[in-house]
Amino acid sequence: MPKQLISLTINGTPREVTVEPSWTLLETTREALNLTGPKEGCGTGDCGACSMIVDGRLVTSCLMLAPQANGRRVTTIEGLQTNGTLDPVQQAFIETGGLQCGFCIPGMIMAARDLLDRNDNPSPKEIRDGLAGNLCRCTGYTKIYEAVELAAQRIRGGD
Amino acid sequence: MARETTIRPPTDANGHHAVGQRVTRLEGPAKVTGRTVYADDMKLPGMVHAKVLYAPYAHALIKSMDTAAAEALSGVHSVITAMDLPEYARNDSNRRNLIFPDKEVLFYGQPLAAVLAEDPHVAEEAVGLIDVAYEVLPAVIDPVAAIEPGSPLVREPLGDVDRSEERGHVSVQSEETEQTDDRPTNIASTAPFRRGDVDASFAAADVIVENTWRSSMTHQSYIEPHSTIASYDVSGELNVWTSTQAPFYIRDELAMAFGILENRIRVTATEVGGGFGGKIYLHELLTAALAIKVQRPVKYIMSRKDDMLAATPAPFAHIELKTGMKKDGTLTALQAKLIYDSGAFPGASVLAGCILIGGYYKCDNLDIMGYEVLTNKVSVGALRAPAAHNATFAIERHMDIMARELGLDPLEVRLKNAVEEGDPMPNGQPYPRIGLRECLEAAADSRLWRDRREIESKSNRGVGIAVGGWLGGLQPASAIAALNKDGTVNITVGSADITGTNTSFQQIAAEVLNLPLDRVNVTYGDTRTAPYAGMSAGSKTLYTVGRAVKLACEDMRDQMFDLAKQRLEAEPEDMELANGQVQIKGAPDRAMTFARLGYLSTNFGAPFPAVVGRGAITARKNAPGFTAQIADVEVDPDTGDVTLHGFTIAQDVGFAINPLSVEGQMQGGASQGIGLALWEEMLYDEEGRLLNPNLLDYRLPTSRDLPPIETIIVEVPSEEGPFGARIVGEPSIVAGIAAIGNAIENAVGARVTESPFTPERIVRTLGKL
Repeated sequence: MPKQLISLTINGTPREVTVEPSWTLLETTREALNLTGPKEGCGTGDCGACSMIVDGRLVTSCLMLAPQANGRRVTTIEGLQTNGTLDPVQQAFIETGGLQCGFCIPGMIMAARDLLDRNDNPSPKEIRDGLAGNLCRCTGYTKIYEAVELAAQRIRGGD
Repeated sequence: MARETTIRPPTDANGHHAVGQRVTRLEGPAKVTGRTVYADDMKLPGMVHAKVLYAPYAHALIKSMDTAAAEALSGVHSVITAMDLPEYARNDSNRRNLIFPDKEVLFYGQPLAAVLAEDPHVAEEAVGLIDVAYEVLPAVIDPVAAIEPGSPLVREPLGDVDRSEERGHVSVQSEETEQTDDRPTNIASTAPFRRGDVDASFAAADVIVENTWRSSMTHQSYIEPHSTIASYDVSGELNVWTSTQAPFYIRDELAMAFGILENRIRVTATEVGGGFGGKIYLHELLTAALAIKVQRPVKYIMSRKDDMLAATPAPFAHIELKTGMKKDGTLTALQAKLIYDSGAFPGASVLAGCILIGGYYKCDNLDIMGYEVLTNKVSVGALRAPAAHNATFAIERHMDIMARELGLDPLEVRLKNAVEEGDPMPNGQPYPRIGLRECLEAAADSRLWRDRREIESKSNRGVGIAVGGWLGGLQPASAIAALNKDGTVNITVGSADITGTNTSFQQIAAEVLNLPLDRVNVTYGDTRTAPYAGMSAGSKTLYTVGRAVKLACEDMRDQMFDLAKQRLEAEPEDMELANGQVQIKGAPDRAMTFARLGYLSTNFGAPFPAVVGRGAITARKNAPGFTAQIADVEVDPDTGDVTLHGFTIAQDVGFAINPLSVEGQMQGGASQGIGLALWEEMLYDEEGRLLNPNLLDYRLPTSRDLPPIETIIVEVPSEEGPFGARIVGEPSIVAGIAAIGNAIENAVGARVTESPFTPERIVRTLGKL
């Protein structure tokens, strides 16, 4: 199949990129756009390490083909900081110890960010449900729940 | 909680300002921004990708292998079979010394050949074009049947078995007895331990419980699959970047395999995306061999499926246990037969299982026999306290069952029998100071245990307790502390940081040097730049390398005292480190700052030699870690569904250098124990094919499954560890199966004897299927 030219807005910057039609969005960002934050843990959408936000929706980018991202706005973990300042979710993960090996974190933080974008005052159950598509093998999730609660509190302005 | 730039007032009785504090990870900002570089994030000029052909049969003879179609595919660089490999020290008895077999396939998923291409998709497509003719042989799958005298054989008899990797995880004064006699058998090794008179003690016991406990084959399931890059050039230098816990071990193995001097090999442990014992030494030999063969950098990233088929998971175990107890709750006799399924090569830590099954409680009469059995399955490795959870499942279910039959409190029965300092392990080795009793006492005082009657008054709810432990590994270690011109300090170590150890080293250095944390930075180097450290396994990194860091900083302090002698006109015994300076005790205005000393030891024409502290240790004493864990479950007796409502872990860590990290280790290990208890199982069919090589069908705990895990840190200081710290990482996984098994029986009366406790097994045990 011939290569395709797609255009997308990645972390706020419009980019054009030539892809094989069979490439996933994950491969496109990692290999063609040199954004290696998102990780491949399974390649089958089960672990969530490749999670990105596409047009306001959380997607497992290992299951999305690059041409499907044509014309869309994509945010990866690299796009969360603003002017060199960490997003409250990123900061909270550091402070509560919600990260260990860190391999799931680029996806986990995107899932947490997506959850808080929809609901800035989630209940403990809503946090657990909201992160259920992202596997972490290191933490047992406890400190991740604490991170999301802390970030939610700060986003609401109750720091 | 933010990183400290000033010295806090002392907060503990010993006046510590840096150790014992909750400190965030040094690597935190890089990890939350996606900037941390894992092996798969690296690219080298001229690099080719490798994909591997994995055997589609559990046991077969390779009759022929035709690679012509694969080689002809556009974009393929080369196809490398067993015949094409560079010369290496091959030993078919050990998984780690065999790249590709040339005749006999021993397990489903065994690597048989590799394809190299610039595009990994091309390499993958070409793997499918390799045409192999097999003669399929009977596969031996069940380890219990495999030890019977008439069983078909898994493989040709073993020769020289290398147990070095297992020794990295646990150090005990015993050896497996290798089965090298003339009678062919599938038993790779045995581990017998006896003391007292078991038969007489059973005859005199008031209650005897006898059961068979089976625990599944499980996978470490780090989220980052095995990932390696190797490069070899004409000068004879071999470079390897790999996701490993054991860079020096890999260097040593590669040096032996290829006959390359160790100082010509550079192994860099890239950031490890989860290891849990599974990332020691797997396909570094293969990747290095490919790089040597083609003289180009080679990258090999396992897919999830590859990793589940062909890494080193944790063994299935079948354990027959008989225990006897007196009316007063005294454990008097224990007889056990432990069968660990090692897969097609030796590697199951049966020794550790045998020592733990008879090692938690004082018991004068033991008869323990362990078998490490070969089958035609992927061979196993370590998973966080290897072999411990299987054995603990058995003994800790028995303690509850015996207590129940005698009408005694299960926690009190454990306290009555718990081992203490000086008590012998099954191998006769006496325990050093340990905190098993203290963990039980802490558990007794926990909210979950105090509330258990109220919880269990609700229908189908049960609370269960179990203990667990791990002895830990021992290896020498070293560290370097260097003073910079501005008075800051660089610590260099050779241990891969898999748990936050670098942050703890920073705390140890800041404590010894009495500096704010941000004046100390920590690097782990590669095997050419770093001082030696053993593998980051066996929970020993902080226990051993942490001691070396402490010594290196003390050496640095002594050097600074010595340099300051003349100018301060004082002797070292009158000096102290405080406020970022060397000062005279009682006269802090008579001082030289770290920055002044740094300047005078680094500047052009400086009068002082550079200040470089050295710490080197050997570790000979175990500092075992124990845990007591409590599970609160609800079981639906109709569907068999288990809901975990609460989980508490008390663990003796000696001294928590960084409570934030320690809690994370406790919660992480506990969650893995819960996973082993409820969901995790590698399922093989009768022909030895893995049925669930993915993270949907191999079910890991998700956030929806796990409530917050409550931690209780217990501190019974070790004799040798830095500031009394002892092993931390591994004990937390050990008790989960037993605690949940006990809770399920307390909830609905189901004595489920095989883990994981799936809905089907629970409903079946209740007689509803």
